Amino acid sequence: MDVLINLSLNGLATGMLIFLLAAGLTLIFGLMDVLNFAHGGLFAWGAYSGIWIYTTTGSFLVGILGAILTGMILGIITERWIIKPVYGNHVQQILITLGLMLVLSEMLKVVWGPNQISAVTPDYLSGSWEFGGIIIIKYRVFIIAVGFAVFLAVQYLLKKTKIGLVVRAGVMNKEMVQSLGVNIQRVFMFVFMIGAGMAALGGMLLGPYSGVIYADMGMEFAILAFIVVVIGGMGSFTGSVMAAILVGLSGSFMAYYVPDLALAANMLLMAVVLIFRPQGLFGAKG
Amino acid sequence: MSTLLKLEQVETFIGQYHILQGISFEVPKGEVTVLLGRNGAGKTTTLRTIMGLNTASKGSVLFKEEEIKSLPTYSIANKGIGYVPEDQGIFAGLTVEENIKVAVKKENDETQQRLDWILDLFPDLKKFWKKPGGLLSGGQKQMLSIARAYVNDNELLLIDEPSKGLAPIVVEKVMESIQQMKDKTTIILVEQNFMMASTIGDSFYIIDDGRTVSNGSMNLLREDEEMRRKYLGIA
Amino acid sequence: MMTRMFSNRMNIIYLLVAGFLALLPFVYDSRSLLILLSQVFIFAVLAMSYDILLGYTGIVSFGHAMFFGIGAYTVGVFMKRFEPETSYFLLAVLVTILLTAVVSYIVGLLTLRLKSHFYAMLTMAFAGLFLVLAEKWRSVTYGNDGFTFRVPEFLKDRTDFYLICLVSMVIVFILLKRFTNSPLGRVLQAIRENEQRTESLGYSVLQYKVIASVVSGVIAGIAGILYAVSLRFVNTSVFTMDITLDALLMTIIGGVGTLVGAIIGAGIIEFSHHWLTELAKVHWIFERWIIFFGIIYILAVMFFPMGIVGSLQKLKFRKKKKASVPVGSETVSQGDS
Repeated sequence: MDVLINLSLNGLATGMLIFLLAAGLTLIFGLMDVLNFAHGGLFAWGAYSGIWIYTTTGSFLVGILGAILTGMILGIITERWIIKPVYGNHVQQILITLGLMLVLSEMLKVVWGPNQISAVTPDYLSGSWEFGGIIIIKYRVFIIAVGFAVFLAVQYLLKKTKIGLVVRAGVMNKEMVQSLGVNIQRVFMFVFMIGAGMAALGGMLLGPYSGVIYADMGMEFAILAFIVVVIGGMGSFTGSVMAAILVGLSGSFMAYYVPDLALAANMLLMAVVLIFRPQGLFGAKG
Repeated sequence: MSTLLKLEQVETFIGQYHILQGISFEVPKGEVTVLLGRNGAGKTTTLRTIMGLNTASKGSVLFKEEEIKSLPTYSIANKGIGYVPEDQGIFAGLTVEENIKVAVKKENDETQQRLDWILDLFPDLKKFWKKPGGLLSGGQKQMLSIARAYVNDNELLLIDEPSKGLAPIVVEKVMESIQQMKDKTTIILVEQNFMMASTIGDSFYIIDDGRTVSNGSMNLLREDEEMRRKYLGIA
Repeated sequence: MMTRMFSNRMNIIYLLVAGFLALLPFVYDSRSLLILLSQVFIFAVLAMSYDILLGYTGIVSFGHAMFFGIGAYTVGVFMKRFEPETSYFLLAVLVTILLTAVVSYIVGLLTLRLKSHFYAMLTMAFAGLFLVLAEKWRSVTYGNDGFTFRVPEFLKDRTDFYLICLVSMVIVFILLKRFTNSPLGRVLQAIRENEQRTESLGYSVLQYKVIASVVSGVIAGIAGILYAVSLRFVNTSVFTMDITLDALLMTIIGGVGTLVGAIIGAGIIEFSHHWLTELAKVHWIFERWIIFFGIIYILAVMFFPMGIVGSLQKLKFRKKKKASVPVGSETVSQGDS
């Protein structure tokens, strides 16, 4: 019982981190038809800048805000100067975002050195609770709570605000949205900024969770996020959260029972989805 | 009577295809101008070029004497041009209400009045207010698309083949509504259904092979059987 | 006529360069240069295989390392487990061809019917899977650290190996040139230009794409074999993204869709890599040499999507066009509006 609960919490926490990365990917893809291979780089930059700010200022909260801000700024730069010039050309887009990923990862090593950096949990979030013999690690619960809160916030944004309405409409028919007088470029930038901020937040939260951060973490998590995006359905926000939890849980349980097959299981799941439901479990797009 | 929109020798390429090779026409304010022509003649591309969805490589597009040829689509729309595309462009996953809400620029009394007026014209929309747009029938989608273009204070509406694929009784309904909107706005109508076009239209332009080849008042075309046969394939 | 003369002249240049490279070890005996050039040839083979996908079919793969790695590990395991003899080496080549063909066929079939994003993403994920496999299947792969192995007699001499690499590159170049000029290759290029139109002309686009994927995968596997043999060592690095990135950089910088661009790109990247590593002793920033390439690469994708060779060709083509085609004779084709 103890093990089951802990594995579930662990899986949920990892799932939430993947969700923070995958949600941006899927939204950006749905709206702009751009698969941002540099998204993992934003994740890693969030981690490095956030942890750096956190250790410099001593405040975890400031670190988190700093990470989000860094992510958003990088997101705007990416959208404006890297992706915008090649809109509409899929091959160029894929190539250029991967190049950016490369530069972002290497820049991390230039700024903070090539070695991994340790990240500690702030006092008020470290330690654990005990309920009837079951030990629950606080920081995991914290990640789950933050992930859930972000999910609700974005859901509110999408369902209840005008800009959210425009984003949803844009996913369905970009041309028509423009014909109704909406400057879609601005919406693109907004969505990119939100997505980048979420990715950076995810990276920052991962730091204390895994204890260390390193430049290649972006790529590692990006692969998981891609799997999630495929399983959940490209462009489906709800799909991304469901699939992220699924992948997180399966990763956590597999890692415990059959550790060697953890990634393979997720890959297999993705292959099955691709064969039988290429639009994803929740997606409408192919 | 003043001219609201004027196209002069507009040429448009789609990819490598030279679709529009010289389109010129004038749209007088407060009238319904009908664009006629065979399938593939370039009528839809003409509307798309006005909207900025395709970019004209030559010629000029003047809206209220202002060149709008190279403006982005959204700012053309914001100048006061509403667009009802051939496929209606309904956001299938959004409700009727949301479909209209996306379009609304200012939420004020005037917009509300326009909305009320158009909803009275299309009571079906009120009935399915909270239903997803994708579940509407073809006629209802057409109504929604027209309502969406009308709800803002647009001076010019571009309506692309509203009768396409609709049952005759629905066509009549749509026609009636356009008839009523005539008093309030200027309309460019692309139409294959000559009956419909000739009832509503004030003047016509015929497009053939990407060029405007003939024009005049609607009465003229009603009487000129030969021209109808030559360009439209109808007697 | 023009193009024929042009290509004849090019063939003479190719022949001269190949002849020069073949004679090089006998006139200028530098061990380090031979090793470096062997690397160039090996990566040129990899980059050319990549060009078949990216340049000739318009498919972006981010998992090319997996085929490279399969080749490297196959030969490594065969040499380690069995005897380092020619027969086992040939068997390893055969198994590599088989494995890479099967894997590329399956991956291609799974993903190529979907949008280009999927192929890029999934090949990346599959390569990740192979990386994990190489790490975890310790009984065969010795995990992260990899293993050394002995090679058959005929591969031992550096000069011989250099020549083998050179010959392999030339053969692959000729074969792929033939392949791309064949009717099949023409269809692939038609797919790159306009997939829908090719489909509507009655070609089964998926089938052709899968063929391209298999050809490319098998040749990347061959490059992997040569690579492992050159080091007499194999570890998990052959499956990493870095290998794919190298292939990508070489192809893009050299010029996509030209094959010879891939060779030039391989030369540029390998030599710069070598020199920048040397420079790293002078200043640490050069240790992060890949960043320069990343930036050049981004700029290339943005402003010179055709790379060095492509840009040169375009320049040449323009000059020729100006001379021969009278101005104002534009063709007008009518399409559906």
